[in-house]
Amino acid sequence: MSSNIKQASILYNTLKSEFTSPNPDLKKCGDYLAKLKIALSEMQLLLPEGEINNSDELLVARDILEIGAYWSVRAKDIPSFERYIAQLNTYYTDYSSLLPPSQSMYPLTGLNLLRLLSQNRIAEFHTALENIEPEQLLENIYIKHPVHLEQYLMEGSYNKVWNSRNEVPAPEYLFYIDILMGTIRSEIASCSEKAYSCLPLADAATLLFFKNNTNELLSFARERGWNVSEAEKKIHFTTKDDDHIEIPSDNIIKQALNYARELEQIV
Amino acid sequence: MSESQDIDMVNVEDVDVQKKASEADALVVADIRQNFMLLERAVHTFESRFTTRVLRTTASIRKRLNIDILFQSFRDVYPKDSADKGRLRNYLGKDSGLMDVDSEEDTLDNSQPLPEIDLYLHLLVMIYLLDKQDYEQGIRLSCETINRIQILNRRTLDQLSARIYFYYARFYELTGNLAEIRPVLLAAQRTATLRHDDDSQATLINLLLRNYFHYNLFDQADKLVSKATFPESAGNNQQARYMYYLGRIKAIQLDYTASHAHLNQAIRKAPQNTVTAGFQQAVYKLSIIVHLLMGEIPERSIFRQPVLRKPLVPYLHIVQAVRIGDLSNFQEAIAKYGDVFRKDKNFTLIIRLRHNVIKTGIRMISLSYSRISLRDICLKLHLDSEKDAEYIVSKAIRDGVIDAIIDHEKGFMKSKENVDIYSTNEPQNAFNARITFCLNLHNESVKAMRFPLNAHRKELASAEALQNDAISSYYSIL
Repeated sequence: MSSNIKQASILYNTLKSEFTSPNPDLKKCGDYLAKLKIALSEMQLLLPEGEINNSDELLVARDILEIGAYWSVRAKDIPSFERYIAQLNTYYTDYSSLLPPSQSMYPLTGLNLLRLLSQNRIAEFHTALENIEPEQLLENIYIKHPVHLEQYLMEGSYNKVWNSRNEVPAPEYLFYIDILMGTIRSEIASCSEKAYSCLPLADAATLLFFKNNTNELLSFARERGWNVSEAEKKIHFTTKDDDHIEIPSDNIIKQALNYARELEQIV
Repeated sequence: MSESQDIDMVNVEDVDVQKKASEADALVVADIRQNFMLLERAVHTFESRFTTRVLRTTASIRKRLNIDILFQSFRDVYPKDSADKGRLRNYLGKDSGLMDVDSEEDTLDNSQPLPEIDLYLHLLVMIYLLDKQDYEQGIRLSCETINRIQILNRRTLDQLSARIYFYYARFYELTGNLAEIRPVLLAAQRTATLRHDDDSQATLINLLLRNYFHYNLFDQADKLVSKATFPESAGNNQQARYMYYLGRIKAIQLDYTASHAHLNQAIRKAPQNTVTAGFQQAVYKLSIIVHLLMGEIPERSIFRQPVLRKPLVPYLHIVQAVRIGDLSNFQEAIAKYGDVFRKDKNFTLIIRLRHNVIKTGIRMISLSYSRISLRDICLKLHLDSEKDAEYIVSKAIRDGVIDAIIDHEKGFMKSKENVDIYSTNEPQNAFNARITFCLNLHNESVKAMRFPLNAHRKELASAEALQNDAISSYYSIL
């Protein structure tokens, strides 16, 4: 057992030094992490249960998992990030009385919020928000960022979302924000289809955040099936609601039959 | 002379007071005795109605309960040297000087009481300890009682054990150790489900939800709700609680329509009196926010009800801000009442209202102007830039909040003419929703009707007798 711990701590130190170095080798870190996770599960620290007295071991385990979470963001591995966060939750909530508060707790929580946002899992996003103390919600820079992003998204201030890219609290946030940008672009596109009858190409490019790059815009327009007229330099949106309201006969028949059946039961 | 008279007078008054007190005590003891009878009857007839009646008197007994009454009741029930009696007395503490006298008086020789009566006394002692704020003893007693319940498997105990679980959790909540009892509650919930013990099941699910909510563990609460079925036959009070919890979970998950339906149920099921004021206030607060989040404005009359008027003032300000669509008013209200909202755990929900304020604002503008420049919209809604305004308006158009079109080059929004709603399928849908509601109401009320057990036997017997008569008369004619 003790040799296990010793081995693990050596490995942990190498991982830490590699990861904090200016140019970490992500592949190497991944290997270390895999080995460390095996060691952790042997010591039953991967998903600890019940009373654990040795807070030092818990602390090391938490550090390892935190590095793991950061590593997954840099390696652009979202499922792995999700797993690390789930494992860290035990440490952040159930063992919070045993351990000193972690420096990375709020950055990682914020990252997790951003991940939920970028995957459009809004319900889970809000459930996760409830777990955070209200004081942190508006004051902690790591938490504030995703919270504001969500508000901007809901009200439609896409401009602010775009600008928030420059105000990220940590470089890791960029990864998810870039994913988010794709979502936003298609949101804006679907809004524009409804809101405009036609739009000059140059304006469309600024609206959709294509920085005067007409080619990108044109291919994007082709993807969405927009009608681009080169001569006018305009995009025409075809309005699809050619107001002929159909009578939903199927539905009405079903409803009427249902009423009849219920009435029969009553009488 | 006169002094001694005075003293006499005082003495007489004292005696009077004592007399009155002992009379009142005797009344309570008699009430409790009556309850013992009812419990016995409940056991013999397997009729839960009697137990319900017993529990209904708890509130009135609770107010008048004191240590002498409890001792008297122990004497009524337990055999002379019962271990249970000694134990319960220990929990009450030995401060009562009556103790020694009591044991001498103890000439009644009772047989071992029914477990129902035994547990009923336990329950009374727990309530007494709760009112005396002796939580340590309460926790010890309730733990012991719960062990006892889990060994006994009697259907006539269901309602009593539900109550006992409730006070068990209450003791832990008051001492701030709610997290500890989660495993016990979960295990008890499983057992109750296996035993088809509806009352305990309902209570336990609610206790668990309350437990999770206390620590803001909404995802776990949601999982519990999706895995555990809430018994349909549960009492109204438990159902009201459950509906409130469901409403809160759904509100957090942005499923406002479902949340609204649940909260409405909770409001309707909760008793409308001053005793439940706290619950009503909590439900109404949440329901107001959900109403707003759905884009509706709650009725003004809600805020005028006497129980609700004062606690709802902060919410009234929010509602007014949303109704007018004024962002700065809204921010002011949040800043002013932020602490209240945080205490009610509604703060995050209220922050979400921000974009509803904007939406209402846009809708108002679109209704009153047929054409307005984006710049003016930006000023009216206190937005930061024209560009933001353009995005917001286009999103509102996409979401169907308003029916309008933007002219980008000239920078204005032009509202389309209102569509006649009666030319769409909307009335048909609304009509259908109402018919379904009525039909469901009818079906529910049919289901809720109560028929006396075995009543049909009598009819059967009389029918048989008639038949026999007919046959015998038939033979006699022959």
